[in-house]
Amino acid sequence: MSRRFLSVDPPDLSLWPTAKGLARLWREQWKIVTVGLVCAFVMTGLSLAIPLVIQRAIDHAIAPKSGHRAALWPYLAVVVVLAIVRFFVNFTRRYATARTGVRVEARMRELLYQAYLRYPRAFYDRHATGQVVSRATNDLYPIRYFIGWGMTQGIQSVMMIVGIAIVLFLVDVKLAALALVAMPFVAVLTFMFGRKVMPVSREVQQLKADVTEAADEAVVGIEMVQAFGREDDVQARFGVKAQAVRDGVLRQARIEAAFLPGLLFLPTLSIAAVVYFGGRDVINGALTYGQFFLFYQLLLQLVWPLEALGWILSLGQRATASASRSFAWLQGIETIPEPSQPTSLPAGPLGVRFEDVHFSYGSGSEVLSGIQLEVAPGEVIAVCGPTGAGKTSLLNLLPRFYDPTDGRVLVGGVDARDLPIEDLRNAVAIVTQKPILFSIPLRDNLTAARPDAPWDEVVAACEAAGVAHFASELPDGYDTLIGERGVNLSGGQRQRVALARALVAGARVVVLDDPMSAVDTQTERHLVENLRPALAGRTVLIATQRLSTVEVADRAVVVDDGVIVESGTPDELLARGGLFAQLFGEEVSAAA
Amino acid sequence: MAALLIVKDAIDHGMRAHDKTRLGVDVLVYLAINGLAWIMQTSLVRGLAGVGQDVVLGLRQDLFDHLTTLSLRYFSQQKAGWIISRLTSDVDALSDVLSQGLTTLVVNTLTLLAAIVGLFVLDWRLGLVALVILPPTLVLTRWFQVKSHAAFLRVRETISALTAQIAESVSGMAVIQAFNRERAFLSEFDKANDANRVTNTYAQYLNSIFFPAVELLGVVAMVAVLWVGGRMLGHGSLTIGTLVSSVFLLNLVFQPLQELSDLYGQVQSAGAAMEKITTVLDTEAEIHDEPSAIRAPRIEGDLVLDRVTFSYGRDPVLHAIDVHVRAGQCLALVGESGGGKSTTAKLVGRFYDPDEGAIRVDGHDLRSLELRTYRRQLGVVLQDPFLFAGTIADNIRFAHPDATDAQVEDVAHAVGVDRIARRFDTGLQHEVREGGAGLSAGERQLISIARALLADPRILILDEATSNIDRPTEILIEQALDRLLRGRTSIIIAHRLATVRRADEILVMEHGRITQQGTFDDLLAVEGPFRRLAAQLKDTALKGVGAQLQADDEMPVTGSRESSSASVASSEPE
Ligand SMILES: Nc1ncnc2c1ncn2[C@@H]1O[C@H](COP(=O)(O)OP(=O)(O)OP(=O)(O)O)[C@@H](O)[C@H]1O
Ligand SMILES: Nc1ncnc2c1ncn2[C@@H]1O[C@H](COP(=O)(O)OP(=O)(O)OP(=O)(O)O)[C@@H](O)[C@H]1O
Ligand SMILES: [Mg+2]
Repeated sequence: MSRRFLSVDPPDLSLWPTAKGLARLWREQWKIVTVGLVCAFVMTGLSLAIPLVIQRAIDHAIAPKSGHRAALWPYLAVVVVLAIVRFFVNFTRRYATARTGVRVEARMRELLYQAYLRYPRAFYDRHATGQVVSRATNDLYPIRYFIGWGMTQGIQSVMMIVGIAIVLFLVDVKLAALALVAMPFVAVLTFMFGRKVMPVSREVQQLKADVTEAADEAVVGIEMVQAFGREDDVQARFGVKAQAVRDGVLRQARIEAAFLPGLLFLPTLSIAAVVYFGGRDVINGALTYGQFFLFYQLLLQLVWPLEALGWILSLGQRATASASRSFAWLQGIETIPEPSQPTSLPAGPLGVRFEDVHFSYGSGSEVLSGIQLEVAPGEVIAVCGPTGAGKTSLLNLLPRFYDPTDGRVLVGGVDARDLPIEDLRNAVAIVTQKPILFSIPLRDNLTAARPDAPWDEVVAACEAAGVAHFASELPDGYDTLIGERGVNLSGGQRQRVALARALVAGARVVVLDDPMSAVDTQTERHLVENLRPALAGRTVLIATQRLSTVEVADRAVVVDDGVIVESGTPDELLARGGLFAQLFGEEVSAAA
Repeated sequence: MAALLIVKDAIDHGMRAHDKTRLGVDVLVYLAINGLAWIMQTSLVRGLAGVGQDVVLGLRQDLFDHLTTLSLRYFSQQKAGWIISRLTSDVDALSDVLSQGLTTLVVNTLTLLAAIVGLFVLDWRLGLVALVILPPTLVLTRWFQVKSHAAFLRVRETISALTAQIAESVSGMAVIQAFNRERAFLSEFDKANDANRVTNTYAQYLNSIFFPAVELLGVVAMVAVLWVGGRMLGHGSLTIGTLVSSVFLLNLVFQPLQELSDLYGQVQSAGAAMEKITTVLDTEAEIHDEPSAIRAPRIEGDLVLDRVTFSYGRDPVLHAIDVHVRAGQCLALVGESGGGKSTTAKLVGRFYDPDEGAIRVDGHDLRSLELRTYRRQLGVVLQDPFLFAGTIADNIRFAHPDATDAQVEDVAHAVGVDRIARRFDTGLQHEVREGGAGLSAGERQLISIARALLADPRILILDEATSNIDRPTEILIEQALDRLLRGRTSIIIAHRLATVRRADEILVMEHGRITQQGTFDDLLAVEGPFRRLAAQLKDTALKGVGAQLQADDEMPVTGSRESSSASVASSEPE
C-alpha cells in the first residue's frame, strides 16, 4: 500500500478565496466593525452637514441675496457643535477600526502559529525558518493596515462619494451631472491599477521573506561566517536580496505613481467644470454664492475620498497579496493525519516492530527499503551503520515525524497510525541527533516534556544523564537561563540535558539518536553504567557511531543503505567480521 | 495652490464682474495648473520613492554589515528573532514612512506653506485670526509626540519579542511536537501576541485622538475666520470673494495638516524603529581591529597560548592555560565534556580575547593582527556544523569562492562527499536548505570538513568534526588531511580516542586546566586522566578485540572504575 506524500508547498491562493478568507476574519470582529461602520456613516453625514451649514451662513448671514442679513453666530455655533460631535465620532471610528486591524492581525498570527504547531517535519524540511517566521510577522502588516484603516475608510469614502453625489443632485442636477462625468474614468483606472499591481505586491512580500531568511541564516550561522572571515561575501549576498526588495518596492511605487495622481487629476476636471458652468450660473443669477461654495467645497471633499480610494486600493492589493500567501499555508498544508478510529495502547512495556518499512523523503531515492525489525518490550537495541545509512530516518518514524511510504511501524502491537498522535508521542520520548534546547531556565528545559514531574525524579534523571555533574557549576545552578539553542552550554552538556529531558518524560519507548557523540568517553562510561538502570523496563532504540555506546544495548543491528544487514550481540557481530566489525573493530584496536 | 488663487480670481472678477471670458480663461488656467501638478506628482512619487528606498536599502545593508562584525558574545546574548526583527520589521517601518511619507511630506508641506502664505496675501488680518489655533496645535502635537514615541517603542519591543518567540518555536518544533508541548508553546505565544496587540492598540488609541483633534481645531479656525470675516464684511473692509477664498484656503491648510499629522504618527513609529536600529548600530564589536593592527602575514603556524585565562561570565572557564604548538604539528585536545576545549578553539579563532595572558601566532599577539586577514588563514569545523542554503558545491566553496569546479570535486572526493552526493540526482549541485536540512548529521560534518580543506588553511581547527561520522569514513578523512594539509598546524578536538591517535601531542583538559600532556602512547603508559578516558575500552564486552589494550595496561578493570570516581589528580606537566 503506497502512500502519496503530504502537500507542504501549496501555491498562493487566488484573489477570490483570499478575499473570502479576509472577510471571514473581518466578520469575526463584527462588534467593533459595526461600531466603526456606524461611526463612519455618522462621520459622512457630519462632514456633509458642516459645509451645508456654512453655505447657509454665507447665504443668509454673510452675503445674503435678499439684503437682509441674519445673525451669524447661531450658524457658527451649530458648526462648532457639529465639529465637536464629529471629533468624538471620528475618534471612535478610528479607534474601533484600528483595533479591528490589530485584532485581525493578532488572530491571523495565532491561526498561523497554531498551524505551525501541527505542521509535519516535511514542511520544515521544505521551508527555511526565516520564511516561516516572515509569514507570521512581515506578511501580516499589510493586512493590519488594510483592515485597520483601509476597509472602513474605503466604505466611508464610497458613502462620501455617494452622499456628495446626492447632495449635488439635490442642489443642481445639471452641475451634479457635470461634476460626476469623471467618475467612470476613475472606476476604469482603479480597475486597471488593481490588475497591474497585484502580482508585484505578491512578489514584494516574497522578496521580504527572502530577506528574513537571509537575515536568519546569517545570524544563526554567524560563527561560520566569521571563522572564515567571509563577512563580505555574506554581506554581498544579503545586499542582493535587500536590493531586490528595493527594486520590487520601486516597481510597486512606479505603478502607483502612474495611476494614483491620475486618480487625483480626474476630479479636478469636475471642479473645473463646476467652476466654469457654476460661475456662469452665478453670473446669470441661477446659483447663489452659497450654493456655489457648497459645490466647490463638496468637490474638494471628494478629492480626499478619491485619493483615499486609490491608496486603499493599493493597500488592498498588498493585503490580499499577503493574505493569499498565509491562507495558502493555512488551507493547503497537510498535517500528519490523525486516525479515524483511534486505538489505545496496551498497558506495560511496549515492544516496537518495523514491518517491511520503506521510506523516502519525497525527492530522491528510497532511504529505507524494507526494514524488518522487532524490538521486544524492555529491550535495548543499538542501531549502527555508516553515515547517511538511514538511522535517523528509521528512528524518526517512531514519533511519527514522518510516516513510512510503505509497510508499518507498530508500537505495542498497534500501528502507529492508529494511535492518537498525542498518545503515541507521550509513549515515545526522543533525543534528536542535534540537541534542541529552549531559552528558558535549565530546570524548565529538563521538565519540558513533563512539567509536573516530581523534582526528585528530575534529579534522578539528571544523575543518570550526567547533568547533575555540571549543573552545580553553572552560574545559577538549575535556575541558569539557557541561551537560545543552548549557546551557553558545551556540546556535551547540551546533549546530556536533552538526554535527561527524555528520561524525565517517563515514556515507555525511548529513542536516542546519537545521544553521546559529544561527550567524553569517561562521562560516556558513567552514562552507560547509569542508563541501564534508569531505562529499566523501557524499550530503547539507540543510534550511535561509538562502540562504547553500543555497549549499553542488548543487541545491535547494522543498517546500510536502508536495509538491515546484520543483527546480534556486539561480541557476535565483532567476531563475525562484517560491516559492524569494519565500523567498530578499528576503534578498539586503535586504543591498543 | 495657485489653482485656488485662480478660483478666487474667477469668483472675484469673473462672477462679480459678470465677465464670462475671464471665467473661461481662469478655468483653463486652473486645469493647466492641475495637469502640471499631476505630472509633477507622478515624477515626485517616483523620484521620492527612489530616494526613500535608497535610504532604506542603505540602512538595511549598513545594519547587516555591522551585525556581521559583531562578536560572538553579542549573538549568544541576543535571540536570533530579536536581531531579525531589527533587520526586517524595523527597517520596514522606516520604509513605509520613507516611500509614501516623503511624497506626503513634500506635497503637503508645500501646499500648507503656500496656503498660509496665500491666506496672508489674501488678507493678513484673516490670516492672523486663523493662527489662533496655532498654540493649541503645538501643545497637542508635543503631547502626542511624547506619548506616542514611548508607545511605539513598546510596540517595537513586543514585536521583536514575538518574532523571537516564533523563530525559536520554529527552530525547535521537532522537540515541541515530540513532547506534546504544543499547548504550552501556544500559551507562551498567546502571551507575546497579546502583549503586541495591547501595545499596538494603545499606539493606535493615541493616533485616533490626535487626528480628529487636529480636524476639530481646523473647524475652529474656519469658524473664527467666518466670524471675524463676517463682521469685516459688514464694515465693508472685506470683499465676499476674499472671504470665500479664505475659507477655501483654510481648507487647504487643514487638508495637508491632517495628512501631515497622519504622517506624524507614522514618523513616530519609524522613529521608535530607528531608535531600536541605532542601538544595534551603536553596539561596538567587542573584538575589533586595533588601529595599530597589521595585516596578518602568511602564517607558519607556530601557536602559543601564554597563561591564558578566560571567562564567559563570572567564573573562569580557562585557568592560565599554557600551550605551545610548533608549526606543522597536530595537537589534540581531549578531556571531560565542558572542560574548555571548544572555548580554547574559539580563543584561537579570536572569537573572544583572553582575559589574561596572550595568544601568539608566529610571535604576533592575535590582537595585533587584522582580524579578517588572520581568520582567512584558518580552517574551522565547528562542533555544530552549519551549512547555508545553496548547493553542496556552494557550501564547499564558501571559504574559497573562486575555487574551480575541479578543485571542489577533488576535495569532495578526498573526504567522501562525492559518495554521498551520488545519492542525489544532481550530485554536488544538490540543493541543501538552511542549516543543512535534508542531510544526515554525518553528511553535514563531511561537507563542512571539505569546506575547511578547500580553504587551504594555515591552521586547521576541527572541533569534534567527526563525532557523527563512522570510523571508516573518518579514516578516509584523516588520509585526506594528511595528504592535503601536510605540514600545517592543526588542532583537533575529539572524544573518540582513535581519532586523536594521530596527533603529535595530546592535551587532556579538565575543568579549564591542562592536566596531562604527551603523545598517545606516553599518556596511556602512565596512570592519569587519559587512562581513565581510555578505560572504557577495557570494560566493553569486546575483550577479545581489546585484549591487546589490556596487555598494554596492567590495571585491572575494577581499578579503573575506582580511579574514574577518584578525584582528578592534577599532574600538570610543564
Ligand atoms: N529531511 C530530509 N530530506 C531529504 N533527504 C534526507 C533528509 N534527511 C536525511 N536525508 C537523506 O536520507 C539519507 C539518510 O539520512 P539519515 O539522517 O537517516 O542518516 P543517518 O544514518 O542517521 O546518518 P548519520 O550517521 O550521518 O546521522 C541520507 O542520504 C540523507 O541525505
Ligand atoms: N557562550 C557561553 N556562555 C557562557 N558559558 C559558556 C559558553 N560557552 C561555553 N560555556 C561554558 O564553558 C564551559 C566550557 O565549555 P566548552 O564548550 O569549552 O567545553 P568543551 O570542553 O568543548 O565541552 P564538550 O566536549 O562538551 O564540547 C562549559 O562549562 C560551558 O557551560
Ligand atoms: Mg543520523
